[in-house]
Parts: sequence; C-alpha cells; structure tokens
Amino acid sequence: MSRTMTVAAKTPSQAGAKAGSRSALGWVLHNVVWIWLIALVVIFGLFNQFFFTVNNMQNIMVQATVLGMLGLAVALPLLVAEIDLSLPANLGFSSAIGAMAYSDWGLPWFPGMLIGVGVATFIGFFNGLCITKLKMVSLIQTLSMMIILQGALLALTQGRTITNLSDGYVWIGQATIGGWPIMPFIFVVALVGVGILLTRTVFGRRVYAVGGNPVASNSAGIRVDSVKIMIYTLAGFLAGIAGFLLASWQMAITSNQGSSYLLYAIAAPIIGGVSVFGGRGNVIGVLGGVLLLTVIQVGLAIISVPSFYVGMIGGFMIFVAVAIDAIRVRYFS
Amino acid sequence: MTVPMTAGSQAAGDYVLKVEKLGKVYGGAIALRDVSLAIRRGTIHGLLGENGAGKSTLVGLISGQRQPSSGTIYLNDVPLAHSDVQKMEEAGVFLVTQEPMIIDHLSAAENLMLGIWPRRFGFVNWRKLRADAARMLAGTGIDGAMRAGALDAVARRKLNILRAMFSGGKVIILDEPTAALTVEDRKQLFDFMRRLKADGVTFIFISHYNDEILDICDAVSVLRDGALAGGSEDVGSLTSAQLSELVLGRGLVLFQRERRSFATDTPAVELRDIVGPSVRVPALDLRPGEVVGFTGLPGAGAKELARCIFGLTPVESGTIRFADGSATQDLPTSPRDAFASGIAFLSDDRRRDGAIGQMSIGANISLSSLTSVARSGFLSKEAELALSQRYFDAMGIKAPSAEVAVDTLSGGNQQKVCLGRVLATEPRVLILDEPTRGIDVGVKQDVLRIVDELSRTGVAVIIVSTDTDEITRAVDRVCIFENGTIARELTGSEITNDRLRGLEPS
Ligand SMILES: Nc1ncnc2c1ncn2[C@@H]1O[C@H](COP(=O)(O)OP(=O)(O)OP(=O)(O)O)[C@@H](O)[C@H]1O
Ligand SMILES: [Mg+2]
Repeated sequence: MSRTMTVAAKTPSQAGAKAGSRSALGWVLHNVVWIWLIALVVIFGLFNQFFFTVNNMQNIMVQATVLGMLGLAVALPLLVAEIDLSLPANLGFSSAIGAMAYSDWGLPWFPGMLIGVGVATFIGFFNGLCITKLKMVSLIQTLSMMIILQGALLALTQGRTITNLSDGYVWIGQATIGGWPIMPFIFVVALVGVGILLTRTVFGRRVYAVGGNPVASNSAGIRVDSVKIMIYTLAGFLAGIAGFLLASWQMAITSNQGSSYLLYAIAAPIIGGVSVFGGRGNVIGVLGGVLLLTVIQVGLAIISVPSFYVGMIGGFMIFVAVAIDAIRVRYFS
Repeated sequence: MTVPMTAGSQAAGDYVLKVEKLGKVYGGAIALRDVSLAIRRGTIHGLLGENGAGKSTLVGLISGQRQPSSGTIYLNDVPLAHSDVQKMEEAGVFLVTQEPMIIDHLSAAENLMLGIWPRRFGFVNWRKLRADAARMLAGTGIDGAMRAGALDAVARRKLNILRAMFSGGKVIILDEPTAALTVEDRKQLFDFMRRLKADGVTFIFISHYNDEILDICDAVSVLRDGALAGGSEDVGSLTSAQLSELVLGRGLVLFQRERRSFATDTPAVELRDIVGPSVRVPALDLRPGEVVGFTGLPGAGAKELARCIFGLTPVESGTIRFADGSATQDLPTSPRDAFASGIAFLSDDRRRDGAIGQMSIGANISLSSLTSVARSGFLSKEAELALSQRYFDAMGIKAPSAEVAVDTLSGGNQQKVCLGRVLATEPRVLILDEPTRGIDVGVKQDVLRIVDELSRTGVAVIIVSTDTDEITRAVDRVCIFENGTIARELTGSEITNDRLRGLEPS
C-alpha cells in the first residue's frame, strides 16, 4: 500500500490568523444595529445639543413604545416563517371598537378597552386559523385582512376622529412617575415577557423549531398548526395593547389610525435580525431595530432636516443597516 | 477487478485534477488542512474517512461550492482562481452533494435538467426537456411530471445522481450516492459509472461501504481529521478489514447481535388490519426486546408501513394494542400522538424530516422530549443540558460542544443528532428508517450496539433498511415486503447476507 502523498507538516497558522481578524469583523457586523444606533445618537447629538436632553430621551422612549409593541407583534409570525401585515390595521380597528364600547354602548372605559384588546386577539386567532387550517398564504391573507380592517375603521368612524375618550382611558398615555412617562414600562414588560416566552419555555422552543423546519418539527412531535395559531393570537393581542396605548397617548383615534406604522413595524424586527425565513431572531434584536428607527425619525426632526428630505434620508439610513446585515449573512454565517 | 490505469510512465497530463495544500477554516475550526492529492484521468477515485473527516468539505471546494481558505486546485494542470458551481459545471466538473439538492415545487424532470436545460434560440426547449428527462428516467420508476417535493428521499437522491451522470461532465463527484439505495440501484449505478469511465470520465466516489469501494474504485485516498492520512493506488490488493483500518487508524470489530427466537413470547405490540396508501398488513406482532428488520424494494411497503405506524401517513384502518393491558386503539394520527404512546421514529431524510439545521445540537436532541425537561411549561436548563449532554456523549457526536448549530456538522454527525433525539424520548417501540445512513464504519457498529443494548431493556425495535449487511448484523427477524405487504419472514440462521441479496429480483 503506497501513500498517494505525504501530509505536509506545516500547520495552517496563516489561515488561523486570518480567521481571527475575520471573526472580529464578524462581531462588528453582528452587532451592527447597536453600533449604528450609538453612532446616530452621537451624530444627532453633535448637530443639536437638545438631542441629549432627558426630555428628548423620554420622547424617544414614548415614541418607541407603540412601534415597539407592534414590532414585537410582527416579529412573532416572522419567527414561524409567516407574516402578518394586518397588525397595524388591527391596532387601529380594535382601538376604535374599544373606544366605541365606551362612548356608544355606555360601558366603563376599562371593560371597553378589554373588548378592544379581545377583538384584536380574536382577529389574530382568526388569521392563524385561515393560514393553518385553510392553508391560505399568509402574505395575501393578512394583506386582505389589512384592507378589510382599514375599511372597517373608516366605516366605523365615518371618516371622523374619535376624541371623546375618558380620562381613565387616556391616563396611561399621559401619566408620569417622577417626571418619567410610564408608557415605555409597558413595552419593557412586553419585551421581557415575550423574551422569556421565547427563550425559557417549551412553547418558545417549538416556535423556533417550527420556523426552522416545519416538516421536521411535525415529525419531532410538534403540532405545527397550533404553534402557528398561538403565535398569531399572541401577535393580535400585542397589537390590541399597542392600539390602546396609541389612542391613550394621542387622546384620539383617527380614521386611519395605525396605518402609518405598517412599514416601520415590519422593518424594525428585520433590521433587528429577525429572519423572514423563520427560526431566527430575538427580542433584543427587535428592541435594537425599534430604537434605531425611532432615533432616525426623532433625530431628523430635531436637527430640522427640511421635511422634503426626511423620508429619503431616513430610508437611506435603514437601507444601510439592512445592507450591512445582508453582507454579514452572506459572508459570515 | 481490473485496474486499467496501471503504474508506468505517466505524463503530468494524466492527472485531470490536482489539489495542492488545500485548507478550509470555518470560523475558528479547521475542517481541512494542507491536503494534496492527484486524480488520474479516467479512474474512479475513492475518498474515505470517518464522519467529519473532511470529505464533503474537500469535494465542496473542488466543485466550487465553497472557497478554499488556502491552497490551489488544478484542473487539467490549470490553476483555478475564484470559482463557483456554475463555472465548474461549465468546465465539466459535477458534484452530487451528500444531501438531496432538490427544488420541491419543480417537477422531477425540471429538477433533472436544472442548469443543463436544452435550449433553443435562448429559450428552454420544453419538448426536448421532457423527452430527455423521460429517457433518463426510463426504468427508474420515477414519473418526470411529478412534483419533486412529493418524491421520497431515495427518488430525490436519484434525480441528483442522474443529472450528473447525463450531464456530459468530465469529472463527476459522488458524495455518498449509494446511501439508502437498493442493491439493484447500486448495481445499475456502478454499471453506469463503468461505462462512463470507459469513455474517459473521471469519478471521485465517497462511500462508507467497504464492499463498494473494493468493487468499483481504482485508487483511494483517506482523510482523517481534515488531513490526508493515507491512500492506495492498488485497491485490488486490499481487503475490507484493511480498508477499515486505513480509515479508522485501528482495527475494527464488527458487531453481530446474538439472535434469539421470540416466537413464543407475549407480544409487546399487536398491530392489526393496517390498510393505508400502498400498504395492507393484516397482522404484525412485536415482542419486547425483539429487533425486527423491514426490507424490500422501494414502494414495496417497508417504509410505508413504518410511517403509518408513526402516524405520518394517514391510514384507512389499523389498530395497535400494547401489552400493558390497555385497550386496542386506532393507530396514532400524528407523530405527537405516536410519541405520547411511546412510539418513536427516525426518518430516512434527515435534512428535510430530521434535524432543525439552525438550532443547536442540544436543542435538537431534546426537541421531542421537551415536556420531560420542563416544569409547567418552563424549561429547566439543567435538566435539558443533562439530557442533551447524555445523548451527545452516547452518540459520540463530533463537535466542539452541544451548543453549535446542526448545520455546521458533517452529514454523519447530523444523523447521530437525529438518532439521539429519537432515543432521548425513551420509547417502547423504536422505528428506525435507515438509521446508519451516512454513518462511518466505526460509528455504525456503535449504533448497532446501542440498538442492541436498548432492546435488552425490553424496547421493541424496527429497523427499515436496504443495507443487507446491517440487517444481518442487527436483527432477530426480517420481514420482506412485496406489493405493500409482508411476503416472507426470515428468522434465526435463515438471515444471511446472500439470502437477502438474492431475494432482490434482478
Ligand atoms: N458550515 C460549516 N461551519 C462550520 N463547520 C463546518 C461546516 N461545514 C463543515 N464543518 C466542519 O468541517 C468538518 C468536516 O466536515 P465534512 O462535512 O467535510 O465531513 P465528511 O468527511 O463529509 O463527514 P461525513 O462522512 O459525516 O459526511 C466537520 O468537523 C464539520 O463540523
Ligand atoms: Mg460528508
């Protein structure tokens, strides 16, 4: 038996060093959202000192709350490799139902609010049923649900803005403790809650499994359909809470409440590393994406970029974040 | 066998492919280090090595699937710069990857012709495509018009192989092509390879089956831990044991179960009146501690019955009764129900139906037993870690830790993860479909040993396999399937390799 070739004795130390610098770059790219976020905060702060004030930080946090709740909700179907485009419309519609339960049906504000959140949750559940049991394609099913809900909100309000919200209803959006608004705490609670659900529970593990490979998950004894239905239901619930918070904060429900959040609510989790192909992402990433988008919006307003340019510049900044992330996935995973 | 290209004065041009000091680093882990080898034109070159040795990595670099971290590849003595699969296919190098590469929503015929579509005026010539595909599929039993996603693992695999064989390529690389193929399929593949070889086509052939290497290869190279560990230019002079030693670096003790007759034992499980799509089995009893082999041609019912028992395929009728005194029940209607009643199943297609690639090894192992490591829905970190570590060690999975993603493992090691997940459920009935598919000779013995030990604890085991050697070594009884039903059974000394092979109609 003859050896075809002898093994070269040299170890590939050169290759090892190269791997080291690559992994450092990989780390930077991996945390690009946070680095980009800090960079933008510094840049905006340099342009306008007001950016660093406590007042502005509070403003950012309040602004981030509704987007954050909605971003969390959008992230959930993405984790199981589905999507729910109807969540922002659900937010608007359900809050209007909640408000009307108070104003038109004479219920106290709290049960009214619960009815609103309940409706949102049920719409989520219904979406889940359509996608699993009827095997409707989630993109189209939730798109049509979005149009239905937007239309229903318009019909419900007859194009007017609902403003006769009770003091109790708007309390949460206005209250402060020691000068700090309390609304962001609700977001933090939701973030921690969903985080624990995803990382510490059996259900969370199943969510990632279903998103990673639904066929294998089924063979591993997971009821794929029920996991998806639960996820849609939970997303609807979060949208309902977000709807209550937005109405309470704005003290009004417009006839297209929530619609303007659509693109940002989808962009935030994706920027934060939630994969549209399912099975990847976490709540910290969603938080990063939400803060990044909020800082861009608030920052551009504060340094008084002429409003004609705000959309373009904001979009460009999002593009950079997403492009860097794509490069990371392409070359470092 | 004959070695046509015997030693002699060989010009440099006789080597169609050469690699020099090829290295590949993933993150910090070295998958391949300084591998140099040369492959003669018109030969079949075997590539051997344990799971994770670097075989797939090496052929991945050669075929342009991945870029080397260091070293050079020469095709016809021309060094290749940055290449990709498309360029390499245009240059005549085709790779059949270890896992089926199939686009599910395309038809079988379209998958077959992917990238090698017949063209006319720049458009795909659909009529010719269908005609060519029909010609290529003749005698394989695969319907070209069928959606590829609906085909079983073996058929999907065959599509990839056929595509490469008919591609007109000059160098064809086959990464474990024969895993899960029947004896007859293997024979056809080898005949085909010999014919192409006579026309000057060169093959790189990866396999864990010694008999195949001895049968068809002219030369072999062995990888161990990413480095070249030896090889031979004269395969004809080697024995199977020598080959194993070359691969493992130590002698190999082949496992053989001590067969026993269970005929008079009370059954642990009674299966009755199973009627499902292409299966019709009136009665099957499994006794506690018995290992039963299911074998037969594809579509004959062995795999199908296994999937029915596990609730993956809905049945028209069928009951199951466990010996613990519980009542006769219908067969489980979902894998979840099956696990709940103590039936576990390992699929033959680990990529599609086994592992969650992006999750860690540990999370995959515990995936089917999550409730046993949780309290009121919350996972207990310690309990889960203990469980996954136990099977990580027991299966001898080669990885830095149980934390790494399954995607980064070699094929054989992924298979061990899937097996670990199934065993972790501690089933009463264990159904394994091609359990050692892609597992190296050394670990294969370990797996058969683990199954053997498990059976001693009273678990009834079904092994579905086309690997007759595995069947003879591991089981007490063989059920041979024909036309969707159990046509014959062999027990005790009736179970021999030759007999099982002879039963395959040729
Ligand atoms: N994408 C990846 N990321 C990190 N490590 C990888 C990746 N792909 C392969 N490896 C590692 O490279 C090594 C060689 O793997 P390779 O797939 O080449 O083995 P193999 O010889 O084909 O084994 P098998 O017989 O099991 O198929 C393994 O240790 C594996 O874990
Ligand atoms: Mg391999």
